[in-house]
Amino acid sequence: MGTSNLLHFEINPHSGIPVYRQMMDQVRYYVASSVLRAGDQLPSIRELSQRLSVNPTTVVKAYNELEHAEVIEMRHGKGAFVAATASGLSAKERETALHRLARHLVVEAKQMGASEEALLRVVRAEMDNVYGQDKPGDPVGFSVLRGLRRN
Amino acid sequence: MELAIEATNLTKTFKGGVVAVSGLDLQVPRGAVYGLIGRNGAGKTTTIRLLLGLLRPDQGATRILGHDLWVAPRSVRARVACVSQAQALPGWMSLAELTRYASHFYEGWESIQVRDLARHWSLAWNQPVGTMSGGEQRRVAILMALAPRPAVLILDEPTVGLDPIARREVLDALVSRMGPGGDCTILLSTQIISDLERIVEYVGIMDRGRMMTTARLEHLQQTIRRVQVIFPDLSPPPDFAVPGAIRSQVTGPVVTAVAQVANDEQLDPVRRMPGVRVQLFSLGLEDIFIELFGHGERPEPAPEPVLAGR
Repeated sequence: MGTSNLLHFEINPHSGIPVYRQMMDQVRYYVASSVLRAGDQLPSIRELSQRLSVNPTTVVKAYNELEHAEVIEMRHGKGAFVAATASGLSAKERETALHRLARHLVVEAKQMGASEEALLRVVRAEMDNVYGQDKPGDPVGFSVLRGLRRN
Repeated sequence: MELAIEATNLTKTFKGGVVAVSGLDLQVPRGAVYGLIGRNGAGKTTTIRLLLGLLRPDQGATRILGHDLWVAPRSVRARVACVSQAQALPGWMSLAELTRYASHFYEGWESIQVRDLARHWSLAWNQPVGTMSGGEQRRVAILMALAPRPAVLILDEPTVGLDPIARREVLDALVSRMGPGGDCTILLSTQIISDLERIVEYVGIMDRGRMMTTARLEHLQQTIRRVQVIFPDLSPPPDFAVPGAIRSQVTGPVVTAVAQVANDEQLDPVRRMPGVRVQLFSLGLEDIFIELFGHGERPEPAPEPVLAGR
């Protein structure tokens, strides 16, 4: 069972973001930040639905979508496990998503009057932060995932 | 898609010409959890009474499990349970006595499961029901409704008058009986919209007896958004409108709107205007409801596809 049953799942039902999406983001975040690793078991559908007081159908939907995205795998009769290659995105999908994020960043930067040099410097610094020390609990990883979802 | 609950063109006028329900359509797929929301007097309770066959419609038809309950045989009605707003439990009876008494009316009464559930929900077995808290009494009512293992459960304002903890207990009780396979179809009406977002898959919004919008909850959440447009100059062009806007407001260079945003590209023409910044925000169900109905004027029913996105 491992640690997944102890993990906190932060759900805000009133945020307007569908609850199953919030669950998917949580799992992706835990996987991206190595809190959950390949082969780790996720809470059962009933357990998670009761813990969060949400409809079990919602958990089923989140797990199904995560399985479709190859973040987790469902083993018949055993439950949900983090997939061996849990990147969640194909190389092409990742490329497209990165372009979308970058375009957003560049447009915002230009609108606030930042120079190209300043933009590159900041991106480089943020990259050093994240890629330099890929530690669990990295909030930047989560914000990247949230950005992916928004687009 | 198999429907457990269905109403078509349902209309009911009371004495004195009060139109309680008018041309209402409602569809609840089997196994789904459906939330009916609306203000006081929107017609929710009348709709439920019509569905249950407690009232006769002037026009239109209702079907639960394929039957009109007004004329359905006992065997069908026994599969439909209801918890009403003013659930009158005999306060002097204990849960033990109450369940023994009620079990004689049903063939499929689940004595053992009822006992287990009562323990699980921390309900005293031998204490007079009248001495229990409001939340406990409501859970007793739900327990009694669930005991014959109904195929359809209808709850009219199950959490009204309860404090937040008792409300959560009632919701948890319902969640514990919702199956991923969905053997029990649940329809609940409520004014406490915040209760719904955790548990419902479908939402129907009623206003003055009519169904204004009915859709999957996530579909509503994803398509009705707050849009903020900031213009670089002092004010937006006079003919500017946010595409899909239901309502909008201009304050200096900022236009805020609540809009139906079917997809992100819908706002691209605005984004392409020079120097303009566009931001999108999600709205909770309560905000959506207030934005649609809380501003005095009465919109026409939205051209929403019924049960969109199933």
